[in-house]
Amino acid sequence: MQVNVRHKGSITILDIEGKIIGPDALALKSIIDQQIQAFSSETEQGENLNLILNMERVQMMDSTGLGILVAAYTTIRRTEGRVVLLNLGGNIRSLIVMAKLMTIFDCYNTEAEAIGHFL
Amino acid sequence: MGERTEQVITLSLPSSMQHVYLLRAVVTEILKETDFNEDTQERINLATIEAGTNAIQHGDREDPDKPTIFQLILTENELIINTADEKAESRHKESETEQVITLSLPSSMRHVYLLDVVVTEILNNLDFAEEIQEQINLAAIEAGTNAIKHGNKEDPSKKAIMQFLLDEDKLTIVIEDEGEGFTRKEVADPLDPENLLKSSGRGLFLMEACMDAVTYEANGTIIKMVKYKT
Repeated sequence: MQVNVRHKGSITILDIEGKIIGPDALALKSIIDQQIQAFSSETEQGENLNLILNMERVQMMDSTGLGILVAAYTTIRRTEGRVVLLNLGGNIRSLIVMAKLMTIFDCYNTEAEAIGHFL
Repeated sequence: MGERTEQVITLSLPSSMQHVYLLRAVVTEILKETDFNEDTQERINLATIEAGTNAIQHGDREDPDKPTIFQLILTENELIINTADEKAESRHKESETEQVITLSLPSSMRHVYLLDVVVTEILNNLDFAEEIQEQINLAAIEAGTNAIKHGNKEDPSKKAIMQFLLDEDKLTIVIEDEGEGFTRKEVADPLDPENLLKSSGRGLFLMEACMDAVTYEANGTIIKMVKYKT
Protein backbone atom coordinates (compact mmCIF):
# COMPACT_ATOMS: atom_id res chain seq x y z
CA MET A 1 0.00 0.00 0.00
CA GLN A 2 1.17 3.51 -0.74
CA VAL A 3 -0.26 6.76 0.53
CA ASN A 4 0.38 10.19 -0.93
CA VAL A 5 -0.57 13.18 1.22
CA ARG A 6 -1.72 16.37 -0.52
CA HIS A 7 -3.09 19.63 0.80
CA LYS A 8 -5.56 21.83 -1.04
CA GLY A 9 -6.16 24.92 1.03
CA SER A 10 -7.52 23.73 4.34
CA ILE A 11 -8.31 20.27 2.98
CA THR A 12 -6.03 17.25 3.39
CA ILE A 13 -6.25 14.59 0.69
CA LEU A 14 -4.81 11.08 1.08
CA ASP A 15 -4.41 9.22 -2.22
CA ILE A 16 -4.31 5.58 -1.18
CA GLU A 17 -3.05 2.87 -3.53
CA GLY A 18 -2.96 -0.92 -3.16
CA LYS A 19 -4.49 -3.25 -0.61
CA ILE A 20 -5.48 -2.04 2.84
CA ILE A 21 -4.92 -5.34 4.60
CA GLY A 22 -2.76 -6.67 7.45
CA PRO A 23 0.02 -4.39 8.69
CA ASP A 24 -0.71 -1.88 5.91
CA ALA A 25 -4.08 -1.15 7.50
CA LEU A 26 -2.24 -0.16 10.68
CA ALA A 27 0.21 1.90 8.62
CA LEU A 28 -2.76 3.82 7.20
CA LYS A 29 -3.99 4.44 10.73
CA SER A 30 -0.70 5.99 11.76
CA ILE A 31 -0.67 8.20 8.65
CA ILE A 32 -4.19 9.44 9.46
CA ASP A 33 -3.22 9.95 13.13
CA GLN A 34 -0.18 11.97 12.03
CA GLN A 35 -2.44 14.22 9.97
CA ILE A 36 -4.77 14.72 12.90
CA GLN A 37 -1.85 15.53 15.20
CA ALA A 38 -0.06 17.81 12.75
CA PHE A 39 -3.30 19.66 12.15
CA SER A 40 -4.12 20.22 15.80
CA SER A 41 -0.60 21.45 16.60
CA GLU A 42 -0.17 23.72 13.58
CA THR A 43 -3.50 25.44 13.26
CA GLU A 44 -5.45 28.02 15.13
CA GLN A 45 -8.11 26.87 17.50
CA GLY A 46 -11.49 26.66 15.88
CA GLU A 47 -10.18 25.23 12.61
CA ASN A 48 -11.10 21.65 11.89
CA LEU A 49 -9.43 18.91 9.92
CA ASN A 50 -11.19 18.24 6.62
CA LEU A 51 -9.96 14.93 5.26
CA ILE A 52 -10.59 13.33 1.88
CA LEU A 53 -9.61 9.67 1.51
CA ASN A 54 -9.17 9.00 -2.19
CA MET A 55 -9.86 5.29 -2.60
CA GLU A 56 -9.67 5.19 -6.41
CA ARG A 57 -6.61 2.93 -6.47
CA VAL A 58 -7.53 0.76 -3.51
CA GLN A 59 -7.88 -2.79 -4.78
CA MET A 60 -9.02 -4.36 -1.54
CA MET A 61 -9.74 -3.52 2.07
CA ASP A 62 -10.27 -5.87 5.01
CA SER A 63 -12.12 -5.42 8.31
CA THR A 64 -9.03 -3.91 9.93
CA GLY A 65 -8.93 -1.28 7.17
CA LEU A 66 -12.66 -0.64 7.52
CA GLY A 67 -12.20 -0.26 11.29
CA ILE A 68 -9.53 2.35 10.64
CA LEU A 69 -11.90 4.38 8.45
CA VAL A 70 -14.47 4.22 11.24
CA ALA A 71 -11.87 5.26 13.83
CA ALA A 72 -10.83 8.18 11.59
CA TYR A 73 -14.47 9.21 11.31
CA THR A 74 -15.10 9.12 15.08
CA THR A 75 -11.80 10.81 16.01
CA ILE A 76 -12.12 13.62 13.49
CA ARG A 77 -15.80 14.15 14.22
CA ARG A 78 -14.93 14.65 17.89
CA THR A 79 -12.88 17.68 16.88
CA GLU A 80 -15.70 18.80 14.59
CA GLY A 81 -13.70 17.98 11.51
CA ARG A 82 -15.06 15.85 8.67
CA VAL A 83 -13.99 12.83 6.60
CA VAL A 84 -15.27 12.09 3.12
CA LEU A 85 -14.54 9.14 0.86
CA LEU A 86 -13.70 9.64 -2.80
CA ASN A 87 -13.96 7.20 -5.73
CA LEU A 88 -15.05 4.02 -3.99
CA GLY A 89 -14.58 0.92 -6.15
CA GLY A 90 -17.42 -1.58 -6.32
CA ASN A 91 -15.91 -4.01 -3.82
CA ILE A 92 -15.05 -1.31 -1.28
CA ARG A 93 -18.51 0.18 -1.61
CA SER A 94 -20.20 -3.18 -1.04
CA LEU A 95 -17.97 -3.78 2.00
CA ILE A 96 -19.14 -0.48 3.51
CA VAL A 97 -22.76 -1.28 2.59
CA MET A 98 -22.50 -4.75 4.16
CA ALA A 99 -21.20 -3.24 7.39
CA LYS A 100 -24.11 -0.74 7.34
CA LEU A 101 -21.68 2.17 7.35
CA MET A 102 -22.88 3.92 4.20
CA THR A 103 -24.90 6.35 6.30
CA ILE A 104 -21.91 7.60 8.28
CA PHE A 105 -19.60 8.27 5.35
CA ASP A 106 -20.17 10.93 2.73
CA CYS A 107 -19.00 9.50 -0.58
CA TYR A 108 -18.23 11.32 -3.83
CA ASN A 109 -17.12 10.34 -7.30
CA THR A 110 -15.07 13.40 -8.20
CA GLU A 111 -12.49 15.38 -6.27
CA ALA A 112 -14.32 18.64 -7.05
CA GLU A 113 -17.51 17.30 -5.47
CA ALA A 114 -15.60 16.02 -2.44
CA ILE A 115 -13.94 19.42 -1.97
CA GLY A 116 -17.34 21.05 -2.43
CA HIS A 117 -18.53 19.12 0.63
CA PHE A 118 -16.34 21.31 2.85
CA LEU A 119 -17.24 24.66 1.29
CA MET B 1 22.03 -18.58 13.02
CA GLY B 2 19.52 -16.67 15.15
CA GLU B 3 17.17 -19.56 15.91
CA ARG B 4 14.69 -17.21 17.49
CA THR B 5 14.05 -15.28 14.32
CA GLU B 6 13.70 -18.39 12.18
CA GLN B 7 10.47 -18.44 10.22
CA VAL B 8 9.30 -21.68 8.67
CA ILE B 9 6.70 -21.46 5.93
CA THR B 10 5.38 -24.70 4.51
CA LEU B 11 3.51 -25.06 1.23
CA SER B 12 2.05 -28.39 0.23
CA LEU B 13 0.83 -28.74 -3.35
CA PRO B 14 -0.79 -31.53 -5.35
CA SER B 15 1.91 -32.95 -7.63
CA SER B 16 0.64 -31.32 -10.77
CA MET B 17 2.68 -28.96 -12.91
CA GLN B 18 -0.19 -26.47 -12.93
CA HIS B 19 0.71 -25.54 -9.34
CA VAL B 20 4.30 -24.51 -10.00
CA TYR B 21 3.09 -20.91 -10.50
CA LEU B 22 1.89 -20.97 -6.90
CA LEU B 23 5.33 -21.94 -5.65
CA ARG B 24 6.86 -19.16 -7.71
CA ALA B 25 4.41 -16.60 -6.29
CA VAL B 26 5.15 -17.69 -2.71
CA VAL B 27 8.93 -17.64 -3.17
CA THR B 28 8.77 -14.23 -4.88
CA GLU B 29 6.76 -12.83 -1.97
CA ILE B 30 9.07 -14.33 0.68
CA LEU B 31 12.15 -13.01 -1.13
CA LYS B 32 10.74 -9.49 -0.81
CA GLU B 33 11.36 -9.80 2.93
CA THR B 34 15.04 -10.60 2.42
CA ASP B 35 18.08 -8.47 1.65
CA PHE B 36 19.00 -10.46 -1.47
CA ASN B 37 19.48 -8.24 -4.49
CA GLU B 38 17.16 -8.55 -7.47
CA ASP B 39 19.54 -10.69 -9.48
CA THR B 40 20.03 -13.14 -6.61
CA GLN B 41 16.28 -13.23 -5.96
CA GLU B 42 15.69 -14.21 -9.55
CA ARG B 43 18.27 -16.99 -9.32
CA ILE B 44 16.83 -18.32 -6.06
CA ASN B 45 13.40 -18.29 -7.66
CA LEU B 46 14.67 -20.17 -10.70
CA ALA B 47 16.42 -22.78 -8.54
CA THR B 48 13.24 -23.27 -6.51
CA ILE B 49 11.15 -23.76 -9.64
CA GLU B 50 13.65 -26.33 -10.91
CA ALA B 51 13.57 -28.20 -7.59
CA GLY B 52 9.78 -28.01 -7.53
CA THR B 53 9.43 -29.22 -11.10
CA ASN B 54 11.83 -32.06 -10.35
CA ALA B 55 9.87 -33.16 -7.27
CA ILE B 56 6.53 -32.98 -9.08
CA GLN B 57 7.57 -34.58 -12.38
CA HIS B 58 10.15 -37.12 -11.33
CA GLY B 59 9.48 -37.66 -7.63
CA ASP B 60 5.72 -37.93 -7.67
CA ARG B 61 5.34 -38.50 -11.41
CA GLU B 62 2.69 -35.82 -11.53
CA ASP B 63 0.26 -37.79 -9.38
CA PRO B 64 -2.02 -35.05 -7.93
CA ASP B 65 -2.99 -37.35 -5.06
CA LYS B 66 0.58 -37.14 -3.79
CA PRO B 67 1.53 -33.79 -2.34
CA THR B 68 4.85 -32.13 -2.97
CA ILE B 69 5.95 -30.25 0.13
CA PHE B 70 8.06 -27.13 0.12
CA GLN B 71 9.55 -25.90 3.34
CA LEU B 72 10.91 -22.37 3.21
CA ILE B 73 13.04 -21.45 6.21
CA LEU B 74 13.89 -17.80 6.56
CA THR B 75 16.55 -16.82 9.10
CA GLU B 76 18.28 -13.53 9.63
CA ASN B 77 20.90 -14.22 7.00
CA GLU B 78 19.75 -17.11 4.84
CA LEU B 79 16.87 -18.71 3.06
CA ILE B 80 16.71 -22.51 3.08
CA ILE B 81 14.31 -24.28 0.76
CA ASN B 82 13.59 -27.96 1.34
CA THR B 83 11.59 -29.97 -1.15
CA ALA B 84 9.98 -33.30 -0.35
CA ASP B 85 7.92 -35.45 -2.65
CA GLU B 86 5.47 -37.58 -0.76
CA LYS B 87 5.96 -41.27 -1.37
CA ALA B 88 3.37 -42.20 1.24
CA GLU B 89 -0.34 -42.39 0.56
CA SER B 90 -1.99 -39.02 0.63
CA ARG B 91 -3.71 -38.37 3.91
CA HIS B 92 -6.61 -36.80 2.05
CA LYS B 93 -7.33 -39.86 0.02
CA GLU B 94 -10.40 -40.77 2.03
CA SER B 95 -12.12 -37.55 1.05
CA GLU B 96 -13.39 -36.95 -2.43
CA THR B 97 -11.65 -33.65 -2.69
CA GLU B 98 -9.74 -33.46 -5.92
CA GLN B 99 -6.85 -31.25 -4.91
CA VAL B 100 -5.57 -29.96 -1.59
CA ILE B 101 -3.19 -27.03 -1.18
CA THR B 102 -1.87 -26.36 2.30
CA LEU B 103 -0.06 -23.27 3.55
CA SER B 104 1.41 -23.19 7.02
CA LEU B 105 2.56 -19.80 8.35
CA PRO B 106 4.27 -18.57 11.51
CA SER B 107 1.83 -16.25 13.28
CA SER B 108 3.18 -12.89 12.22
CA MET B 109 0.86 -10.31 10.68
CA ARG B 110 3.27 -9.61 7.82
CA HIS B 111 2.50 -13.09 6.46
CA VAL B 112 -1.02 -11.92 5.65
CA TYR B 113 0.51 -10.71 2.36
CA LEU B 114 1.76 -14.21 1.64
CA LEU B 115 -1.69 -15.59 2.28
CA ASP B 116 -3.12 -12.95 -0.06
CA VAL B 117 -0.69 -14.00 -2.79
CA VAL B 118 -1.59 -17.68 -2.40
CA VAL B 119 -5.34 -17.06 -2.39
CA THR B 120 -5.10 -14.73 -5.40
CA GLU B 121 -3.09 -17.30 -7.37
CA ILE B 122 -5.46 -20.14 -6.48
CA LEU B 123 -8.49 -18.04 -7.46
CA ASN B 124 -6.89 -17.03 -10.76
CA ASN B 125 -7.14 -20.66 -11.78
CA LEU B 126 -10.70 -21.33 -10.64
CA ASP B 127 -13.72 -20.20 -12.58
CA PHE B 128 -15.35 -17.86 -10.09
CA ALA B 129 -16.64 -14.49 -11.28
CA GLU B 130 -14.34 -11.59 -10.39
CA GLU B 131 -16.72 -10.24 -7.76
CA ILE B 132 -16.91 -13.67 -6.09
CA GLN B 133 -13.09 -13.97 -6.20
CA GLU B 134 -12.88 -10.70 -4.27
CA GLN B 135 -15.31 -12.00 -1.66
CA ILE B 136 -13.39 -15.26 -1.20
CA ASN B 137 -10.10 -13.38 -1.01
CA LEU B 138 -11.50 -11.09 1.68
CA ALA B 139 -12.93 -14.00 3.69
CA ALA B 140 -9.55 -15.79 3.54
CA ILE B 141 -7.68 -12.67 4.69
CA GLU B 142 -10.17 -12.22 7.54
CA ALA B 143 -9.83 -15.84 8.61
CA GLY B 144 -6.03 -15.73 8.39
CA THR B 145 -5.87 -12.46 10.33
CA ASN B 146 -8.22 -13.95 12.91
CA ALA B 147 -6.03 -17.05 13.36
CA ILE B 148 -2.75 -15.09 13.53
CA LYS B 149 -3.95 -12.19 15.66
CA HIS B 150 -6.75 -13.44 17.89
CA GLY B 151 -6.07 -17.19 17.87
CA ASN B 152 -2.28 -17.33 18.08
CA LYS B 153 -1.83 -13.82 19.54
CA GLU B 154 0.89 -13.12 16.94
CA ASP B 155 3.22 -15.68 18.54
CA PRO B 156 5.51 -16.67 15.63
CA SER B 157 6.20 -20.07 17.23
CA LYS B 158 2.53 -20.90 16.65
CA LYS B 159 1.29 -21.91 13.23
CA ALA B 160 -1.70 -20.73 11.28
CA ILE B 161 -2.56 -23.51 8.83
CA MET B 162 -4.74 -22.84 5.80
CA GLN B 163 -6.03 -25.66 3.63
CA PHE B 164 -7.62 -25.04 0.27
CA LEU B 165 -9.75 -27.92 -0.95
CA LEU B 166 -10.38 -27.59 -4.67
CA ASP B 167 -13.43 -29.45 -5.95
CA GLU B 168 -15.25 -29.25 -9.22
CA ASP B 169 -18.30 -27.62 -7.67
CA LYS B 170 -16.80 -25.69 -4.75
CA LEU B 171 -13.81 -24.26 -2.94
CA THR B 172 -13.42 -25.02 0.77
CA ILE B 173 -10.96 -23.13 2.95
CA VAL B 174 -10.07 -24.59 6.35
CA ILE B 175 -8.12 -22.42 8.80
CA GLU B 176 -6.62 -23.80 11.96
CA ASP B 177 -4.82 -22.00 14.75
CA GLU B 178 -3.14 -23.08 17.99
CA GLY B 179 -5.05 -20.66 20.19
CA GLU B 180 -7.58 -21.16 22.96
CA GLY B 181 -10.58 -20.90 20.69
CA PHE B 182 -13.76 -18.90 21.11
CA THR B 183 -17.53 -19.24 21.06
CA ARG B 184 -19.15 -17.69 18.01
CA LYS B 185 -22.30 -16.73 19.89
CA GLU B 186 -20.31 -14.63 22.34
CA VAL B 187 -18.88 -12.42 19.61
CA ALA B 188 -20.90 -9.20 19.43
CA ASP B 189 -22.93 -8.37 16.31
CA PRO B 190 -21.15 -5.54 14.46
CA LEU B 191 -24.46 -4.46 12.87
CA ASP B 192 -26.00 -3.78 16.25
CA PRO B 193 -26.43 0.03 16.38
CA GLU B 194 -24.37 0.25 19.54
CA ASN B 195 -21.44 -1.53 17.82
CA LEU B 196 -21.68 0.23 14.47
CA LEU B 197 -18.97 2.78 15.24
CA LYS B 198 -16.54 0.35 16.83
CA SER B 199 -13.17 0.11 15.14
CA SER B 200 -13.00 -3.70 15.27
CA GLY B 201 -15.15 -6.84 15.48
CA ARG B 202 -16.25 -7.20 11.84
CA GLY B 203 -14.00 -10.08 10.75
CA LEU B 204 -16.29 -13.05 11.40
CA PHE B 205 -19.31 -11.16 10.11
CA LEU B 206 -17.53 -10.43 6.81
CA MET B 207 -16.39 -14.04 6.44
CA GLU B 208 -19.97 -15.21 6.88
CA ALA B 209 -21.28 -12.53 4.50
CA CYS B 210 -18.76 -13.41 1.79
CA MET B 211 -18.93 -17.22 1.89
CA ASP B 212 -21.84 -19.64 1.37
CA ALA B 213 -21.19 -21.54 4.60
CA VAL B 214 -18.91 -20.96 7.59
CA THR B 215 -18.65 -23.50 10.39
CA TYR B 216 -16.66 -23.36 13.60
CA GLU B 217 -15.10 -26.55 14.90
CA ALA B 218 -12.82 -27.56 17.77
CA ASN B 219 -13.95 -24.65 19.92
CA GLY B 220 -13.40 -22.17 17.10
CA THR B 221 -9.76 -23.12 16.47
CA ILE B 222 -10.82 -24.61 13.15
CA ILE B 223 -12.94 -22.55 10.78
CA LYS B 224 -14.30 -24.12 7.62
CA MET B 225 -15.61 -21.89 4.84
CA VAL B 226 -17.26 -23.00 1.61
CA LYS B 227 -18.04 -21.20 -1.65
CA TYR B 228 -20.00 -23.02 -4.35
CA LYS B 229 -19.36 -22.41 -8.01
CA THR B 230 -22.95 -22.08 -9.15
